[in-house]
Amino acid sequence: MEAFLGGLAILVDPYVMLMVLLGTVLGIFVGALPGISGSTTIALMLPMTIAMGPVPAICFLGAIYCAANFGGSITAIMVNAPGDPSASATALEGFKMAEKGQAGLALGMSAISSAIGGIVSVVVLIFAAPLLARAAYSFGPPEYFALALFGLSMCAAVGGDSALKNLIAAALGLLIATVGMDLTTGVERYAFGVMELSDGIGFVPVLIGLFAVGEMLDQATRRLGKPAIIALDAARVPGWAEMRKCWRSIWLGSGIGTFIGALPALGATTAALIGYNETRRWSKHKHEFGHGSIEGVAGPEAANNAAVGGSMVPTLALGIPGSATTAIILAGLIVQGVRPGPHLFNEQPTLLYAVFASMLAANIFYLVMGLTMAKFFARISLIPPAFLWPSVFALSLIGAYGPNQSMGDVWVMMVAGFVGLLFRRAGFSPAPLIMGLVLGGMVEETLKQSLIIFGDDLTGFLARPIAMTLIVVTLAGLLWPVLARLVRMRRAAA
Amino acid sequence: MTHAGVGGGTDITARMMMVQAPAEFGQEFTVVNRTAGSGAQALQYLASKPADGHTIILVTQTHLLTQLRNANLPQFGDLIPVARATADPQLVLVRRDSPFRTAADLIEAGKTRSLRFGGTHVGGVDHVTIFAFGRAAGLQRPTLVPFRGGGEIVINLVGGNIDTAVVNPGEAEAQLRAGELRPLMSLADTRIAAFGELPTAKELGINATGYTLRGFCVLKGTPEDRVARLEQGLIRAMSGPIYKTYLENTGQAPDSVAGREAWGAQLAGFNNDGREALTALGLLRG
Repeated sequence: MEAFLGGLAILVDPYVMLMVLLGTVLGIFVGALPGISGSTTIALMLPMTIAMGPVPAICFLGAIYCAANFGGSITAIMVNAPGDPSASATALEGFKMAEKGQAGLALGMSAISSAIGGIVSVVVLIFAAPLLARAAYSFGPPEYFALALFGLSMCAAVGGDSALKNLIAAALGLLIATVGMDLTTGVERYAFGVMELSDGIGFVPVLIGLFAVGEMLDQATRRLGKPAIIALDAARVPGWAEMRKCWRSIWLGSGIGTFIGALPALGATTAALIGYNETRRWSKHKHEFGHGSIEGVAGPEAANNAAVGGSMVPTLALGIPGSATTAIILAGLIVQGVRPGPHLFNEQPTLLYAVFASMLAANIFYLVMGLTMAKFFARISLIPPAFLWPSVFALSLIGAYGPNQSMGDVWVMMVAGFVGLLFRRAGFSPAPLIMGLVLGGMVEETLKQSLIIFGDDLTGFLARPIAMTLIVVTLAGLLWPVLARLVRMRRAAA
Repeated sequence: MTHAGVGGGTDITARMMMVQAPAEFGQEFTVVNRTAGSGAQALQYLASKPADGHTIILVTQTHLLTQLRNANLPQFGDLIPVARATADPQLVLVRRDSPFRTAADLIEAGKTRSLRFGGTHVGGVDHVTIFAFGRAAGLQRPTLVPFRGGGEIVINLVGGNIDTAVVNPGEAEAQLRAGELRPLMSLADTRIAAFGELPTAKELGINATGYTLRGFCVLKGTPEDRVARLEQGLIRAMSGPIYKTYLENTGQAPDSVAGREAWGAQLAGFNNDGREALTALGLLRG
């Protein structure tokens, strides 16, 4: 308790709070820019934090991490270019909302659900981190395989209205996921001797191409009619009516995000995609999905920010980072002489609670900033396309080149842009493709790992209760519509 | 110049060295990250620059394996080793309740069945180390269960999905301290200070070593006086307090920094192991 209060005391330390505020502003800013992700920023800031002392340094880095995840949703909603990969699910519904003139609603809901997701996960972290960390050990390849299968099982339902088209898009995503060096054979697949392809096709350039470049090409091929008088509604932020509608999605997203984030092998992007799937599955307004559903913004945004708190669980409690960003934060901790691991909770609890308190503060900071700035950001949608899109394209180029400083990624982005254009013309949704790309590699890899562990014996799965439960739930979800129809037909016949 | 992404362990090594290098050489240093193709792009970048010592590559064992598998790249003979930055010995670990109480238990079991080792991808650095270890100890060829990195290997070792793994002490520090993992032997040349009780594989009669190596090389053709100047300067830059603290805090061996002789010999040794292992695994043509 003493340690807990000691940790909270940093909330009144002006220096630390200034660092958290700086981190939050910086985080929102870089999160919103495609190409500069939170992880890159934290890596670049790392040397500067060495001189700060452990508590302010970690609070600063933690605040960037929290805020960048939220910042990504701003560009996702306004220009369909997710500023951070984890915001890709947000773009699916958020951009549609902005097109309908509801940018303010989408941005406001993103800020609110992000903050709630973030706060829920930090609270869980405070009470259950060591416990949740144990769960990480029971997740081996068979369990990850079952989880990825569960996520993929929804791909026919997510995105466009045609299940067939969704499956085709998902299959394309799966195909792209197979490119590059195969972990279990050490052989390159579909790389055709091109060096840039040997590590696989990057997720970020595909994403930027599919969403932002595709959108630009689509806009460019359309003749500009009279600029529509955008309703003044664009700057409206969510009220109680929207909150009531999204309440369930936010809790669902927060729970899913915290759990998935706590698994070392999965991060915010997967959390957001699965959060999106489940929000849709449990929504009372399924027909709105794909046409700008506010629940479809709330669910994944809550999930990806909850995953931030979640991914601190294995980082702090096991010393094993749950994402690229936490890997760098871990490096920051170690440089400061802090040794993460189970003993951290006994030996340096004050430091730990200070980290938690600063993350709570960062969440509240960006909530306030997000809500006040939503009205200003929303006005981006009033910029005429002829000015807006070329600048988005310039940002996209930087975004694709930036992370790996590779021209190969820029070409991947361009190709993905044309695919995105064809998708829009032919009525396909990018959502299942993204799911196939993110989860497909994992399904294959974990299945092969499982089979090596089981000595090529599929029945090995039967001895893994967690994996079996997930597989049964997946099957039930797939078969339920068929069974329900059979029952109905029988009733009708009787 | 490095093949690692910004913020990775190898990238950080380069950046830590650079804290003191500019003062040493009176010249600015920048890091260029060329990540594609497991070091292939980094090697090509090196080859595209003049051999004047102004472009220094941070080489790891991964580069050697990439070179072996791609004859179009600059080969091992095209590099001049300059100085070693890190040499992090690996430990053979098992989980707390593993039936293998001692190294002898493990070796005994490995002679009757193929043990499941955790490592990075098939044909990667860990695979070569495990292959060489298995052969030196007379084991049946070990089964490699490939993972994405040290963290995943450690989790699966604790979770009981693999029998054993070869891991750097720093990667498993939390689990070693909590007693969830036990070291059976180290793959260092001599006993590691932090694990004074732990025998090396060589003491147990197994002629195998395992290190994570990182160090600097320049392109062949660089004038000898410049190589010597670089060697001296880099070693001095890495003898400063910042680099020392970095090694200490990340749990890496404090005697990591070494001159070109030791570094070159170690690289050559791994190059031979790598060639044999990759050939035996059918990953190397010709």
